[in-house]
Amino acid sequence: MLEQIVFYSLAALITASALMVVTARNTVHSALFLGLCLAGVGGIFALLGADFLFAGQIMVYVGGIAVLIMFVVMLLGRASDLHLRQMNKQWAAALLVCAASLAGFWKIVRMAGGALATAPVKPTTGPLGLIMMGDYALPFELVSLVLTGALLGAIFFSRSEKSQ
Amino acid sequence: MSEPAKEKEAVPAATPANVVPAGAAAAPAAAAGTVAPKPAPKAAAKPLPTPVFNERHGKLILNSRYWPTELWKSPWSLPSYRKGALVLFGLIAGILLTGAAVGELSRWADKLYALIAAFVAARHWPAVTTDAVWDLIKILIVLHVVLINGLWAIWWERKISAHIQSRVGPTYAGGWHGWAQTLLDGVKLLLKEDITPTAADKWVHALAPAIVVAPVIIAFAPVTFGKQLAAANLDMGVLYIFAFAGISVIGVIMAGWASGNKYSLLGGLRASAQLVSYELPRGFSIVPVLMFAGSLNLSTIADAQAGYWHGLPRWFIFYPVIGPLAFVIFLIASVAETNRTPFDIPEAESELVSGFHTEYSGMKWSIFFLAEYGYVLLASFLLATFFLGGGASPFAFDHVIPSWIWMLGKAMLMMFTFLWIRWTFPRLRADQLMDFNWKFLLPWSFANIAFAGLFLLFR
Repeated sequence: MLEQIVFYSLAALITASALMVVTARNTVHSALFLGLCLAGVGGIFALLGADFLFAGQIMVYVGGIAVLIMFVVMLLGRASDLHLRQMNKQWAAALLVCAASLAGFWKIVRMAGGALATAPVKPTTGPLGLIMMGDYALPFELVSLVLTGALLGAIFFSRSEKSQ
Repeated sequence: MSEPAKEKEAVPAATPANVVPAGAAAAPAAAAGTVAPKPAPKAAAKPLPTPVFNERHGKLILNSRYWPTELWKSPWSLPSYRKGALVLFGLIAGILLTGAAVGELSRWADKLYALIAAFVAARHWPAVTTDAVWDLIKILIVLHVVLINGLWAIWWERKISAHIQSRVGPTYAGGWHGWAQTLLDGVKLLLKEDITPTAADKWVHALAPAIVVAPVIIAFAPVTFGKQLAAANLDMGVLYIFAFAGISVIGVIMAGWASGNKYSLLGGLRASAQLVSYELPRGFSIVPVLMFAGSLNLSTIADAQAGYWHGLPRWFIFYPVIGPLAFVIFLIASVAETNRTPFDIPEAESELVSGFHTEYSGMKWSIFFLAEYGYVLLASFLLATFFLGGGASPFAFDHVIPSWIWMLGKAMLMMFTFLWIRWTFPRLRADQLMDFNWKFLLPWSFANIAFAGLFLLFR
């Protein structure tokens, strides 16, 4: 009962803030609603007992990504840049993509719905660490290599012509 | 070196009984020579005070008739000084004795929980009521830790800053050392007009203080105040605290942007750049601690430091090289995270007119400070837990003083360090700040993780 109340409030919060992200006229407001939406997803993780994912979601997405997006938006310059158009000519295509992904998600939900464990939640941080550093050490290191490469690439391309 | 020595010869040292400054002695002597009792207008005739050299402290003091006490050769000869020392000693002894009398707080908490459970059972209420009431009590306690800390820390900061700068600080409100000053300031701030600038984005401007202060209260949930004394015993406590502490940056950016003021925007941008940067060394500096303790749970980390090496407590700060390095990096990064003075370029008064909170007044303005002092307290408790053994006693023979007294004492020591740093160091420039973080703190925190790995490998 309590879980359902929390779940539906979080779901309503996520959906409403996600709608506000795309409909808000001011880009900074959109960025703020994005942060709220991501925090709500973190709440869903907490509700499911995925404590590490919850903290990771808050730390990386709310404390990191949302902050960086706001940083970029504020560096955009003139105030008129903050008020963007809501639609362009591609809206029909976007609707189609949304419908297709909705259908896909629906299928996944139908397939995997009700598969959640009902046992009391256990801490997940230790087991996750053991899996990442044990059985999946190679993929884990490969992912970190790819991320390091992406980081170095970003630094390389954002350097000015003069310093190259 | 020679200048003070000259002054020493010229001015006779003041004795405890005769504390008239040397400069003031000249005027009465001149007046005594003439018969006419008519006193000249003193403001014009008064000569500049002669510097007094204090042998004991090696300082040159100008006009210091009443303050500082260094004027007297030995401050212990003053009754007020002796009384003050006695009061301080009495306070410390009283706290220790109270602690010894009360004992571990977790025992009392268990009794209270049993009482609530019995009450609920007697009324035939559903069993979940007990936990609901219990959680409510814990939430209220955690909330009041942050609120009361604001009162205490601001008064303490004002007193310490005053004494560091040879002032006395608040003295009148409340009588005893101006203890009620913050309380009355709070009433004043509550009654002040709440101003929203016309250029401001109203909603974001109003919400920003809430977004700044809410995470600090939430982040206090897993903090341990002693043995088995945490509102929530979370398995990923450290991660949880760092995750929520990161949210406040959004509030700072919101405040800076929504004020509709270029200084505020600059302050907000600088604050976000600084906070996001310093979060990295702050997080990485405690990785060695987590490696030694093998857990993210705060009480497990504190328990991992139990025991003594021949009388020296096994605290992480005493681990050779690794411990002190991690401690220093964490301390510096924590000071930077709270926007305090060596790192206060986001709210530099002299160039940004206080940065992101320029356009705030009254209670909204004070909420920013509530959050700042909340983060200071949070960092103090984290420092005490990670590096100073949490509630463990520093003496192997001590079994009387309970853990919450030691925890509180260590946290207050760390808080004093915070205030001390703030009133000692000058402000860094924005580029020095970034250089220091990215070129010094971050590489050394990485190196420290490697040192800890080597230590664990060859242990």
